[in-house]
Parts: sequence; structure tokens; C-alpha cells
Amino acid sequence: MRPNRRTVAASALLCAALAAAGCGVGPGGEVGEASLTVSRDFGTERLSPPAAEAVSESDTVMRMLDRNATIETRYGGAFVDSIDGLAGGRRAGRPHDWFFYVNGLWSPVGAAEYPLRGGDSIWWDYRDWSASTRVSALVGAWPQPFASGYEGERHATAVECRGGGVACATVRARLGDAGAELTRVGAKGAIRVLVGPWARLRGDATAATLEDGPGESGIYASFEPDGDGYRLTGLDRGGEPARRFGRGAGLIAATRRFGAPPVWLVSGSSPAAVRAAAELLDGADLADRFAVATEGGAETPLPIPVRPPR
Amino acid sequence: MRSPFAYTPRPGPLQSASPGAAVVYLGALVAVAFLYSSPPVLIAAGIGAALAGHTAGADRAVRAALRMGLSLALLIVVVNALVVNRGETVLLRLGELPLLGRVDVTAEALAAGAAIGLRAAVAMIGFAVYSACVDPDRVLRALRPIAGRSALTAALISRLVPVAAADAARLRDAARLRDPAAAPLGRAALVRRLTAGSLDRAVDVAATLELRGYSLTRPDTARGVRGVFKSRFDGRFYAAGAVVLLAAIVGKLLGADGFHAYPTIQLGVGPATVAVAVIVALSGLAPWRRNAPRRRGAPRSAGA
Repeated sequence: MRPNRRTVAASALLCAALAAAGCGVGPGGEVGEASLTVSRDFGTERLSPPAAEAVSESDTVMRMLDRNATIETRYGGAFVDSIDGLAGGRRAGRPHDWFFYVNGLWSPVGAAEYPLRGGDSIWWDYRDWSASTRVSALVGAWPQPFASGYEGERHATAVECRGGGVACATVRARLGDAGAELTRVGAKGAIRVLVGPWARLRGDATAATLEDGPGESGIYASFEPDGDGYRLTGLDRGGEPARRFGRGAGLIAATRRFGAPPVWLVSGSSPAAVRAAAELLDGADLADRFAVATEGGAETPLPIPVRPPR
Repeated sequence: MRSPFAYTPRPGPLQSASPGAAVVYLGALVAVAFLYSSPPVLIAAGIGAALAGHTAGADRAVRAALRMGLSLALLIVVVNALVVNRGETVLLRLGELPLLGRVDVTAEALAAGAAIGLRAAVAMIGFAVYSACVDPDRVLRALRPIAGRSALTAALISRLVPVAAADAARLRDAARLRDPAAAPLGRAALVRRLTAGSLDRAVDVAATLELRGYSLTRPDTARGVRGVFKSRFDGRFYAAGAVVLLAAIVGKLLGADGFHAYPTIQLGVGPATVAVAVIVALSGLAPWRRNAPRRRGAPRSAGA
């Protein structure tokens, strides 16, 4: 039986509609290159060399991970249980699991549902989550999220200078070099970078979550009142104070609340400390860090590393 | 026409067995389907259940369950492929669809759907054989001492289904006897009529059940429980059910269920898987009877 013209026309129309909707056979064409980092204990130990590879239209965080590591999943393939044999569970009485970040941000959806774009930076970290179930943002993906954006969209960056002085100019310059699109303070949807001494930054509602502990802010540090100022205290992975820094210590950290754009903090006890923190804004100092403290020219990753349970 | 799932008395071992033995035997096969995801074992459980139905003479029930089960399995495969994006091997990209969002059809989602569908099909075959071969009156009689009201409720439900099927068949026959030029009777009209009369029919069934003694109080245990049925075939079915369950549990502990759909399809078929599959499939021969009685109407041999 020969198909009539109407059938042929309807079939052609359907094919055209499907093609226009992005349909096709197989994984689809390349959309750029993405990088993958696998580490443990808040980035203190890399478990495999960083991988960078071309990703296709249908690629997800899970698919890229599966191509580069041996993984086991649970809940119908939705949850990564183990990577290269390192499985979630309790170690030394503390809960450990795998968490992933895309462009330095904790994902609101599972790895199997997160579509990849060219330029994305994926980081899987196996960590103790007893102190904080949700570290919503981190700084170790620099220059992301400023360069490529997050959750499928590019976002401008607003530097909010709150007594940061020359540190603000340093921050703007570093962000510009990294490819960030700088915009005015208060611009809708912009990533915020707060620069200034902690006494000034703590007035911001998002920054103030730092004082509520890592359970709220996801940052393993706090500023404790000290005379007429504040001093930085580094917390360990259990959220307990582990090191009290001097008055010249600076901090670079990131946080995020309720799906709003991420907020980066470039702060310290004093203007000099803020300047020192601003100098850390580069890939070498921030790579693989959740947050970084600096004192006397030496960087300390946060949370304060302790010997992890094996 | 009788429903293929309606109980038909036959002189086979499964029909003669006590309800407990039949439930343990068929329940073990269904339990295997829910314990395992491995396709070889699921297929073996399906073969076992179908074989049990065939040897017990319930071919119509098995065929009907196979048709329904495989249709359901196909539906599950399609739905799973559309709603689950997980899996490494992308076969088709369907783009962004309303309600579903981004849809990638993956080999892994198809395989996972097939395993779930197979499980559903096995369960349907098992229940079909149970329905066609196990006397519901015996089951309810066995249950009544334990839970009288539940037994009555179960009796009503289990009786109403064949009653509704018989009513539907009568209505369909009546519709065929109308003027040949009359409009064909649609399914919706048939269902509407059956639903409208369901309450009356339920009352009829309840009254019949009452007359048959379902409303009586619990039997006097001092005089012994009347009607507790035992058969010489019980041991065979209890043993077959126990062997199947034991093999399934031991096999599971030995890693016989080596199937993972995500993130990539992994199917482990080791000696344990093969052993479990063989035991489960062969258990379908339990209702087999060496000297099957001659069917009514079959020609007798000369001189008999």
C-alpha cells in the first residue's frame, strides 16, 4: 500500500517539529568542554587527576562521572553511593557521603538530572557532613561561577565595597581578568561579592549567617568579638573551633541562601586583612578549597584539616 | 463466556491441594519475582508460573495473564523510558516535552523498565494460576476461623468479579441478539450498566454467601474445626515452595541477583544465577501428574 500525500506530509511535519525541539538519535553533538575533579575531605586529597573532556548535548553530571570513574548508585541510579570503591556511610562515627558542585555551587537537582554545558566545572567531594548537611557554595572552582555562570545561565557580578578600600579595586581587577561581567550593586540576579572588614559585612543578612555556624552558612569559620573588633576562628570538619587566627587574618568564602545568587565574602578582621584576602583571588590559591583563610602570607584551607578517618 | 481466571474444578494435584499448600507454592514463585531484578531469574519465574498453570490445566488463564502481563510490561517500559533520564547510553533525544521536561531515552531506562515489567508479568501469571486453580471457597473456609469478617469481605470481592464478568457476557450476548442493524454496544455503555447494577448484585452475592453459612459464628473448636481440608499432594507443594524460597534466599546471598540497570547495564550470570533460575523454572512441574485422568468425552480405547 502506498502512503498517501497527507500521511507523507504529516510525517515530514512531525520529523521537522521533533528536529526543531532538539530531538535526535544518540547523545548529540558536542557543546564544549567540562572539567571534573574528584576529591575527599573538603578537597584536601584529590582521588584522581582532574579530567577535562568534550561534553555532548545529552550529557549530565552523572554521565560524565560514570565515564571517568567506577561508580555505584542507589535509588534507581539517582544517588551516587560510591566512587572508585569509596562508599558513603559512617566513618569513625561520622556520616560521610559524596557531594557534587557545578561551578562552585551545590546543585538543587541530582547528578543524573543536571545537564552539562561547555565550560562547566564539576567537583565531587567525599566529606563528613555531621556539621553541615549543605555547603551551598565554595570558592575552589574559581574563576567559576563568574566566568561561565551557573545553572545554565551566565550572571553578572556586583562588587559591594563596604570599607574594603583598595581591596575592592583588587577584587574588581581579578574578577575582570577572570572573565566576569561586572555590574552595578543591586542589579537583579547578580552574583554578589562583599568586600570589607567583618564589622561592616556582618550587617548583610546573607553574610551574617556566618555567625550561625556551618550548619547555616556552609562556611567552616566564624568571627568572634575581640575587644573592639573581630577575630577569625577556623572550624574543623565537625564544626568545632580548631584554630584562632590573629587580628591580621583574612577570609575568602562563599555562601548561598534559598536559591538566590551566591554571595562571596572577601573579609578579615582589619582593612589590611581584607587586602590580604583580596590577593588570594586566583586559581592557584583557591583551587580545591571550600574556603580559605590567610594570615601572614600563608593560606589555610577551611575547614581546618585534621587527619581524616580511613 | 467464563472468565479465564475463574476457578475451574479439575482433578489435578494443584486443584486438589489445600489452599495453604497452593498459596505457599505459587506465592514462592511470585516472591522470587519481587526478590530479584535479574532478568534470567525473572524469566525463569515466569516460565515456572506458566508451567505450573499448564501442568494444572489452566492454559487459558496463563495465556490471558501472559497477554495482559506483557502488555503491562510494554507500557511500563515505555513510561520508564520517558520519565527516567538516568543511564549512560543515550539512544534518543526527544528534547523538552510538556510536563516531562528534557527527555533522553536511554538503554538503561529501557532495561530497568523491562525488569519491572517482567516482574509485573510474573506476578500476574502467578495470580492467574492461583485464581484458576485454587478453590476460593476452600481458601475462605480456611481463613474464616482466623478472620471471619475479612473472610466475608474477601468472599464478596472475589465472588463479585466473576459475577460481574458473567453479567457482562450475558449483556454482550443480549446485545448481539438485537437487530443486526442496531448500533454496536460500546464498552462504556457496558461498564455503565454493570456499575449501575453492581450494588444489587453485591446484595445478591451477600445473601447467597449468608445462605452458604458465611454468617455463622466461628466453629466450636472443642468439636474440632470442620472443613479443614488436607490433600495427599500438600507435601509436594509445601516442599516445592520451600525449595524455591530457600534457593532464592541462598542465591541472593551468593550474588545471584547480579543485575544493575544504572548507571550502565550490568548483568552477572554466574553459577548461582543459573542454579536459581533452573530450580525456579523446574518448580513449575510440581503440579504434574503422571497418570492424568482422561478428559470427559475423550474416546475410550477398544475393549475398555
